Amino acid sequence: MKRILSLLLAVVMVLGLGSALAEIKLDYPTFQVGVNTAAPVIAQLVEEFNALHAGQVVIQVEEIPGDANYIDKIKVLLNAKDLPPVIYGAGYNLLDLALASDLLVDLTPYVEADPEWQAMYNDKALEVNSRDGKIYGSSAEGNTIGYFYNKELFEQAGIAGPAKTWDEFFAQLDTLKAAGITPLSMDTADSAWVTSLWMGALIATSGEAGQAFMAQMMPDDYNTPEVIGALEKIQKMFQEYTTFDAVGGKYENAANAFLSGQTAMIANGPWMIGDFSDTTKAPEGFADKVGVAIYPEGFAYDEPIQGYLVTRQQDSAVEQAAVEMVKYFTGVHAQTVALEKQGMLPASTQVEITQTAKDNFPLLAEFVVALEGAVIRSATTQATMYPNLLDIMSAELPNLASGAMTPEQFAQALTEGAAKNK
Amino acid sequence: MQRRQAGWIALFLLPAVALFLTIYAIPLGITLYTSLFDYRLFPNRMVYVGLANFAQLFARDAQFHRALVNNLVWILLHTTLHIAIGAVLALILYKKPRGWKAVRVIYMIPSIISNAAVAMIFANIYNPSYGVINSLLKSVGLAGMQRNWLYDPATSFVSVTMIWTLFSGYNTTLILSQALSLDSSVLEAARVDGASRLQQDFLIVMPLVKHMLATTMIMAATYMLQMFDLIYLTTRGGPGVTTTNLPLMLYKTAMTENNYGYANAIGVVIIALGVLFMTLINKLLRTRED
Repeated sequence: MKRILSLLLAVVMVLGLGSALAEIKLDYPTFQVGVNTAAPVIAQLVEEFNALHAGQVVIQVEEIPGDANYIDKIKVLLNAKDLPPVIYGAGYNLLDLALASDLLVDLTPYVEADPEWQAMYNDKALEVNSRDGKIYGSSAEGNTIGYFYNKELFEQAGIAGPAKTWDEFFAQLDTLKAAGITPLSMDTADSAWVTSLWMGALIATSGEAGQAFMAQMMPDDYNTPEVIGALEKIQKMFQEYTTFDAVGGKYENAANAFLSGQTAMIANGPWMIGDFSDTTKAPEGFADKVGVAIYPEGFAYDEPIQGYLVTRQQDSAVEQAAVEMVKYFTGVHAQTVALEKQGMLPASTQVEITQTAKDNFPLLAEFVVALEGAVIRSATTQATMYPNLLDIMSAELPNLASGAMTPEQFAQALTEGAAKNK
Repeated sequence: MQRRQAGWIALFLLPAVALFLTIYAIPLGITLYTSLFDYRLFPNRMVYVGLANFAQLFARDAQFHRALVNNLVWILLHTTLHIAIGAVLALILYKKPRGWKAVRVIYMIPSIISNAAVAMIFANIYNPSYGVINSLLKSVGLAGMQRNWLYDPATSFVSVTMIWTLFSGYNTTLILSQALSLDSSVLEAARVDGASRLQQDFLIVMPLVKHMLATTMIMAATYMLQMFDLIYLTTRGGPGVTTTNLPLMLYKTAMTENNYGYANAIGVVIIALGVLFMTLINKLLRTRED
């Protein structure tokens, strides 16, 4: 009996070892965890993918709270040429950095072999994810961005609705301030996301030169009248229209100020819509108070951001599994999950704005309508600037805000930072 | 016999020497070597530039100048004010007043908390919206003095400095342990000769613990040359470069600017400063001759 039991045990152990050896582990560091708006979507996709490939592939999530920390980590791994199988570009232009070190897998043959996947790419998505005719990334996010406003606070101040021009916008800021309401949520820490959205909108709507600047990939010269003009307004926004803790504050501080009704406006994308009805983040009924708009002068950010990238691995089986993961995470199903669960507008036109999404997030439907009025569209400044400039933005914005630095000096600092990439 | 002994000594030293070479000496050599190159990883580039990185650092790089000055000021403060606080407390506790053991333990607590936690505590203390300092100022009618302590260029340097300057628990413990081991007859003799309390402290005890003082000063100087986490987790060196020191600049140069040759040149400066301060402190306190 003992012999039989021992034999059985040995067989079980060998089988267990065999299956453990056969299972491919995909380490996946991500900042889309915790309070990040995409966390529930990523959690669901990971769970589904793991169930679908049970015994063959398993995604092991490594939680890195904060996108700035994620970017730092990826850069460290990039320097060590030890990238995880899948990285998320997330609008931080990691594609070019990884490609410069020849660490990316060319996805072109995989995409071309799969008509369904190929159909997910529209022209813009193809452009941001390709270099020299080769596809290196796959997008899931549409990155369509306007701003949100608190209708109740607008009403209190006697403001009828979103401004059509910047002059009207700044007049509204004065009106809100006069009514004792802090008009804007802003930030400087991490990548100064919210602030950079206001800045980009100001640049893009400053005329043809501004639009041309926004269309550039990795601009070298920030010493332009359009950028300096936008920075002057950003300085004013910091000094007169935002919260005390905006300087040094992260996105989370800015979001919290808006969600708690402390500020009247925040620039951000529709993925934030889910937060408005999340009672762990906002008071009950807050979602009903929020309106959405495109920026003054008819501007909206509207360009897919670089998506998921597959990196070169020693084991080709890991690479294959990583390709499968990226395909799954950017497919119609995944983009629909993000749409319905998070309010994220899809990167692909193949994904319909479902009724469920409209029911879950009425604001999303409102935003889609507002978007039709956008006459100027571009990518975000963060998606196009050299990655090291994110750090400079974050470090120097407090100086701009305090007046220790002029807009011209700030523009010069960015220009000098860009030159360091040569 | 002696040759045989020497052989054994060499054999036993071998693992330590091998470890030293692998972990310190070889990387140090690589750092020195690559500091002479324009060395970047993406795209991969390694071009010999001689001393150009150092020339750039000292002659033209305003950020480096600020980081160097910050670092030197912090070293100076840490090897003087910080040590003085620890030494004065050690001299008080040395007389074993009531509750001296409790004070010794309590004062040590900030030193045993991880730097990450300390940074978070101070980020909250300095928070402009709900931080203790601004709340206190508001409660006593000084709302006009409220500041964004960590991110206002006028206050950030002092605010960051205060995070580590006041807590000198390690130094108190080390100096106190040395003081407690002194022969009591020396002080008795001083008392018989009519030395006051102050004279006993500064003319008898302090000179007798100067070896420990030198050790704590060297530790303080090297701590400041290595300081990274407390700054990174509070201000990341900002606003601008107001609170940037050399290690932080090295990190940013390598990680965000991909300029490894330049970063290693900064590394060489840090090493040189370390050697310089160690020699200086030893000479100042003449510990070797003693």
